Amino acid sequence: MPQIKNVCHWLLGAALLLLFDVAGRSLTATFALPIPGSVLGMLLLLLALMLFGRVPSGLAIVSEQILRLLVLIFLPASVGIYFVRDLSNGDWLALVAAMVIGTLISFALTALMLQRLLLGRGGRRRGERGEG
Amino acid sequence: MKAESVSAWQQWLTQLQQVAATFAEPLSVSHPLVILPLNILGFWFGLKIYRRAGTPILHPVVGGSLLVLAGLLLLGLDFPAYQSGSGLLYLLLGPAVVALAIPLKQNLQVVRRAGWPLMLGLLLGAVLAPLVAVVIAALLGGSRTVLVALTTKSVTTPVALALAQELHGVQSLAAGVVAFTGIVGAVCGPGLLRMLGISDERVVGFSMGINAHAIGTVRALEISALCGAFSALAMGLCGALTALLLPVLVTL
Repeated sequence: MPQIKNVCHWLLGAALLLLFDVAGRSLTATFALPIPGSVLGMLLLLLALMLFGRVPSGLAIVSEQILRLLVLIFLPASVGIYFVRDLSNGDWLALVAAMVIGTLISFALTALMLQRLLLGRGGRRRGERGEG
Repeated sequence: MKAESVSAWQQWLTQLQQVAATFAEPLSVSHPLVILPLNILGFWFGLKIYRRAGTPILHPVVGGSLLVLAGLLLLGLDFPAYQSGSGLLYLLLGPAVVALAIPLKQNLQVVRRAGWPLMLGLLLGAVLAPLVAVVIAALLGGSRTVLVALTTKSVTTPVALALAQELHGVQSLAAGVVAFTGIVGAVCGPGLLRMLGISDERVVGFSMGINAHAIGTVRALEISALCGAFSALAMGLCGALTALLLPVLVTL
């Protein structure tokens, strides 16, 4: 009967995802929290998993499957970009420039900062890697 | 409290009923049984194209959405009809955000070794990434819609969609901005850091996760498993942190 057991584990995992989603949403509604309910659900699940110590097998399987299908799940929202009409040409220019230049600048700054923070003042020294 | 949790549960059931109702409608080009296979085919071919090309420029989001667009034009469908036909997928967005907790939990052990400097870097990076973009767009005279869409540019798409809803932004624009940003980061990021003389895989991975979310994480995994783990961790933490901070900052 290992199949039935697997199915039960899978259903339990799926039910947990749904439960934490609904719990997060009802908490943000109750306390009028300014964060998305599903994100609060994720944080609650993270907390629960840290307290529990390990990830239940069914939950691990379901989450891996749903995350593999992530692109499919948000495909309808992504397709909407071709139907956005109420932006002027100037808006598009600002948007694209901010995405390209902004991303390159923040990428470089983040990395330089992390280098400093992780490796201290001797950040420029080579040969500190290779420990992984 | 009890009443509220019942209402959130009922909301979910109502949503489920609405989706079920679209299935009960008479068969037409906007029926879910036409739209869902279109989505799945778009996703599947998008994935195939990406695997063959092997470049982040042809990420499945790009190929998939273009294929679905072509399908919609062929069928003569508008966006609202397509959206209602895709209701089942919208239903999965919430649980997909919650599922991000699992990779986050599995990667948390990695961070224990790097400690607080990493957390400080995360905080600064998570603020810096949207801030730089918003400032550039504001200087170029971008409208409020554009600025709001840019605030979630470095956050993984499901979280960005939830935030767009919370901030009354345009979800589609947010999704497009996230995909484009991720592609820019994944394509140019590693080369940029090489030019800056940064080769520490932890730094590269973490920067990828903060600035280029999931698309960057896939690229980071190609560099090494350590780089990928740091990127996945940064992506998850950056998403959670932005979701906590951004709604408060925007309402100020």
